[in-house]
Amino acid sequence: MPLDVIMPALGMTQDTGVLIAWHKSPGDAVAEGDSLFEVETDKATVEVEAQGSGYLTDVVAAAGEEVPVGQVIAHISETPEGTGTMPEAAKDEPGQTDDQAGAAIPEGEQVIMPALGMTQDTGLIIAWHKSPGDAVKADDMLFDVETDKSVVEVQAGHDGFVAALLAEAGEEAPVGGVIAIISEKKPEAPFSRSVTAQVAAAPAAPAAVETPPRTTQTAPTPKKSLPAKTATAADGRILASPKARRLALERGLDLARLVEHGHPQPYHVKDLDTLENLPAATAQTLSTAAPARYLSAEVPSNGFDEFAAWATKEAGLTDAGALMAAFAGSSLGRSDVTVALEAFNTTRLYAVRGRWLGDLTEADPDTAPDLRLRDLRFGRLSAVQTGPENTPVLSVLASGEGLKLTLECAAEQLDASVAITLLSDFAGRMEQPLRHLL
Amino acid sequence: MTSKTKAKTKTKTKKTLSTADYLRMYTQMVRIRTFEDNANQLYLSAKMPGLTHMYSGEEAVAVGICEALNDNDHITSTHRGHGHCVAKGANFTEMFCELLGKEEGYCRGKGGSMHIADQSHGNLGANAIVGGSMGIATGSALRAKLMGHDDVTVCFFGDGATAQGLLYEVMNMAALWNLPVIYACENNGYSEYTKTEEIAAGSITARAEAFGIEAFNIDGQDVVAVNELAQKLVARCRNNEGPFFVELMTYRYHGHHVGDINREYYRSKQEEADWKENRDPIIRFRGWLVEQGIATEDEIETLNQEIKQDAKTAVAYAEAAAYPDVSEVDMHVYAETDPATLRAGN
Amino acid sequence: MREITLSQAVNEALVEEMRRDPTTFILGEDVAEAGTPFKVLSGLVEEFGTGRVIDTPISEPGFVGIAVGAALTGARPIVDLMFGDFLYLVMDQLCNQAAKQQYMSGGKLSVPMVVRTNLGATRRSGAQHSQSLHALVAHIPGLKVALPSSAYEAKGLMKTAIRDNNPVVIIEDKLMYQDKAPVPEEEYLIPFGVANIKREGSDITLIGTSSMVQVAEAAARILEAEGISAEVIDPRTIVPLDEETLLKSVRKTSRAIVIDEGHQNYGITGEIASRLNEKAFYYLDAPVLRMGAMDVPIPFSPVLEDLTVPTPEGVAENARRLCAGEMIHAA
Repeated sequence: MPLDVIMPALGMTQDTGVLIAWHKSPGDAVAEGDSLFEVETDKATVEVEAQGSGYLTDVVAAAGEEVPVGQVIAHISETPEGTGTMPEAAKDEPGQTDDQAGAAIPEGEQVIMPALGMTQDTGLIIAWHKSPGDAVKADDMLFDVETDKSVVEVQAGHDGFVAALLAEAGEEAPVGGVIAIISEKKPEAPFSRSVTAQVAAAPAAPAAVETPPRTTQTAPTPKKSLPAKTATAADGRILASPKARRLALERGLDLARLVEHGHPQPYHVKDLDTLENLPAATAQTLSTAAPARYLSAEVPSNGFDEFAAWATKEAGLTDAGALMAAFAGSSLGRSDVTVALEAFNTTRLYAVRGRWLGDLTEADPDTAPDLRLRDLRFGRLSAVQTGPENTPVLSVLASGEGLKLTLECAAEQLDASVAITLLSDFAGRMEQPLRHLL
Repeated sequence: MTSKTKAKTKTKTKKTLSTADYLRMYTQMVRIRTFEDNANQLYLSAKMPGLTHMYSGEEAVAVGICEALNDNDHITSTHRGHGHCVAKGANFTEMFCELLGKEEGYCRGKGGSMHIADQSHGNLGANAIVGGSMGIATGSALRAKLMGHDDVTVCFFGDGATAQGLLYEVMNMAALWNLPVIYACENNGYSEYTKTEEIAAGSITARAEAFGIEAFNIDGQDVVAVNELAQKLVARCRNNEGPFFVELMTYRYHGHHVGDINREYYRSKQEEADWKENRDPIIRFRGWLVEQGIATEDEIETLNQEIKQDAKTAVAYAEAAAYPDVSEVDMHVYAETDPATLRAGN
Repeated sequence: MREITLSQAVNEALVEEMRRDPTTFILGEDVAEAGTPFKVLSGLVEEFGTGRVIDTPISEPGFVGIAVGAALTGARPIVDLMFGDFLYLVMDQLCNQAAKQQYMSGGKLSVPMVVRTNLGATRRSGAQHSQSLHALVAHIPGLKVALPSSAYEAKGLMKTAIRDNNPVVIIEDKLMYQDKAPVPEEEYLIPFGVANIKREGSDITLIGTSSMVQVAEAAARILEAEGISAEVIDPRTIVPLDEETLLKSVRKTSRAIVIDEGHQNYGITGEIASRLNEKAFYYLDAPVLRMGAMDVPIPFSPVLEDLTVPTPEGVAENARRLCAGEMIHAA
C-alpha cells in the first residue's frame, strides 16, 4: 500500500524543486492533510501536504537537496518500519549517468540550465558571478544567461560552495543540463571546465525537457506492401511500369516472354535486360491455337478479261478491281461483306451487298474489312503464302495463261467448309463471270 | 411610380444645403428606384441570370449617407447593393451590364449583382457573405488613419448582419484605435424571411455603445435627416472622433430577393402597403421639396421621366452588349506584380 | 558566409521591407513589445512604432478582414497569425474575400497582403496547435502559398511575399526558428514558382516541403551509403508550383516520393504526386509515393506524436523499396 510521496510540479517551467525542510521525521505518524515538507520553487516556498495517512518511511531526499519534479522521495506506509524498499531513484537523474566524464564531477547540488522561453533549446552563459571554491548563498546571483530575448540572472538556489563549473562563460549549454555543482562543504579541488568536456552531456530530466524531434526509427507511412512479386496477375494481364512498357515497345521486346519464362511481375526497366537475354523464341508469334488454312485454285483468265471489257463497254464500269471485289464478296455467302481491295499499292474498301454488280458501293473508310483481296496479276510473283493475317486474304496472281487464286486465313477465321466454298465460288466467278451474273 | 404629393410631410428640417444638392439627392433616390424597377423586370422576364436583391424603399439611407461623402471616401456594400452603388456615383449602363454578365459591366461581368464594385468612386464592393465586408470597411479606415489620409469609410450592413461575430470584433478594434469608420445598420425589420426581433436580442445601438462607440437611431426614410446626421458624423470622423454607429429604420418593399414573391407567410401585405403609401422616402422628399419651394411638381415629374428614359436606354444597351470573351475565364485570378519590384536593389 | 537563425532571417526581411515601403505594417496578437511568443518580431516596434506594428485583440477573423480592407485601399498589411491552426478561423476573410477580389472586380481591385503563420508538429503542443494546413489555402484560386525550408528561404520568400500584389500565405516551421543557415548580407529575393534542387541524384527524386526538405536530405544521406542516389528538391512555393523542375527530375530518375507535413489524405502530397503521374507517366518505373503526416489529429504524448510525421528513416525505407521494384502503396 505504500503511498509515494512525490516532488510536485509547482510551476510550468519548473523541472526541479529544492526540499527546504521536512516537517515530519522518518517513523512519524502522518495524517492526510498534514504539512509534510517545504519546497522552494522559482517563485516561492510552498508547503506540501500528505496525500494519505500512515507513517512516513523510506525517506531518500534530505533537506537542502534539489529533487527533480516527479521523483519519489518517501513513502507513507502502514507501519513505521515501512516496506523496506527504497523508492526508486529516477534512472535519469542528471549527473549520475555520465561515466566517462562523470568521475570528475563532485558530489553536491546540481545547478541546471533553466528553460526560459518557448523556443529555447540552449542558453548562452554570459558570465559567472562566482568562481570555483567561492561560498555561495541560495539567493546569490550565480550566472547570467542570454535567451533569444534578453539576459536573465539566475540564482544559485543552494547554500554551499561552488565545487565545479561545468560550462564556461560564452558557451551554450542545453536546457536541463547540469552546469554547476554546489557542495555543502568547501571543496578541496574546485574546478571549471568547458561544456564540451562532458561527453554524455544531455540528461533527460523527467518532466519538461523536450526530446529532440524526428529521431524515431519507425517509419510512419507505407507499412503495407503487396507480396513483392507474383508470377502472373490474376486476369492474364501483364503488370509492368509505364516506362518499362514504353521502352519494350521502342526496342521491340515482348513482355509476354518474361511471363512465359516464369519471371515474376511487376516488370520494371531492369527486367528488360533479362528479357533481351532470353533464349530466342521459336516461331509462333500470333495465333497458336490451330494451323492456318491455305487453298489455291487455277482458272483461265480469258473469262474475266472478256467480262471486264464488256462491263466497260456496256455498263461503263472501268474498275476491274471492283469487279473482282464484288465476286470475292459475294462468294463469302453472307449479305453485307466489306472487301478491302489491295492493288497497285492502294487499298480501297467496297461494300458488297448482293450478287449483282449494282450492289457494290464504296464502303465507309472506317469499316473493318471482312475479306482482303490482293490483285497481284501485274506483279512478278508466281506464288504467295504469307501466312494468316487479321482477315482472310484472297490473292489473284497471273500464272501462265491463266490466274492463280489463293485463299489464306487463320483457322478460327473461317471454317474449312466456308473457306472451300469461298475459294470455289470465287474461282467460278472469275472463270465465267457472266454465267454467274446472269 | 411616385404619385404627386398628398399628405403634408411633417418633417421639421429646414433647408441648409443648396438647391442643386437637394435636387441631386432626389435624383439619386429616383435613380435607385428606377434601377431596381428595371432590374426586377429583367429578372421577371428571365433576361437576368441568377438572382438579385432589391433596395426599393431604402433609398433615403444610401443617398442620405452617400451625399455626405466625397468621391474619395469609401463604402462597403451588401448583397442588397444597387442602392449604395448608384448613390456612390455609378452609372446605369455599366451597372446593367454587370447584372447581365456583360463585358462592359463594372466587373467585366465577373462579379454580378452580389459582387458589384466601382472602386473609381470608392465603392469597395457588394458582398455576398452577410457581414463579409465589415472587416474590409474597418481596414480601409485603419489604412486612412495609418497613412494620414482624411477619407472616411462607411460600412453598410443589415439588421441580420448584427448576428455575425465579425461585427463585434471589428467594432472593438475600431473603438480601440479610433478609426474613421461609420457603421450604418440598415434595419429593414427582416433578416431574410424572419423578423428582426426574432433574431436580434436586446438593442442594436447598445451593441455599439458597449464598445464606447456613439450610436444613433434615426428614421431611415427621411433623407434630409439622414444626410444631416451623416454630415456631422463624417466631419467628426475626419476630426479623429470616430468610429460611429447609426441604426437607420427603413423597409424593403420587395422580398429578400427578386424570387421571393409569395411572402405573406412572413410579412403581411397590409404592412407592406402601409410603408409604401405612408412612409415612402421619395414621396416624402418630393413633398418637402415642393413645400420648400426647391422644385415644382412639374419639374420633378420631368426629372422622373428623364431618369426613366435613361434607364430604358441603358437597359437596351446592356441587353445588346457583348459578353466577355471566353478567354477571360482564367484572367484576373492573380494580380500582376511588376517584375522590376521583385528584384533586389529596387 | 554568416549564419543566422530562421527567426533572425524573418526579422531582417521584415525590417528591410518596412524600411523600403512605408505602406507596409504588421498586425496580429502580441506583435509589438512581445515580438510574438516566438520572438521573431523583436525590435520591430522599437523601430517602426505602434502605428506600424499593431497589437490586436484575439480577433483573427476581425484583423484578417481589416487587413483585406487596408490592402484594398492602398496599404500592404502583414498579418501575424500566431498558429497555422487558426487558419480555420479566418477562412471567410482569406478565401471568400481576399482571394476573390481581383477576380470578382474584373481586375480592378487587388489585395496585396501577407499572412505570416506557422506549421509543424512534434512540439508537444497538442492537436490544435500542431497542424500543417497549407493544403487548405493552396486549394483556393487567388492565394499564393510559400513554404520556406531554412533561414535563407525564409528571408528571400518573405521579401517577395510582401512585394507581391496578391494575398500570400507564408508558413514557417515553428520548430525551426532557432535553426541557422548561411544567409547573405547583401539583399536578395527568392522568386515564387522556382524550385530549388538541393541535392542532385539519379535514382529517385525526393520532393519535400518546409522542414521535410531536411528530412529528405537526411534520407538521401542514408541512401547514399547504400548506393542509392537521391535527388532532393524543395519547391519553395506550392502556389505557384514549379512543375517543370519536378518533372524534369522525375523524367531523369523515373521514381519519386513527395514528403509534406500536412495530412496525407487529400493534401499537398496527393496533388504533386498526381501531377507527376499525369505528366511523367511514361517515364515512371515506380508509382509516385505520398508521405504526409498520419491522418490522425496530432496526439500529445511524445511517443505517439513522433510517429505521426515522416522521418528520414521512413523516407529511406520507401525509397529503398521503390528502387528495388517492390510493389508498395502509400498506406
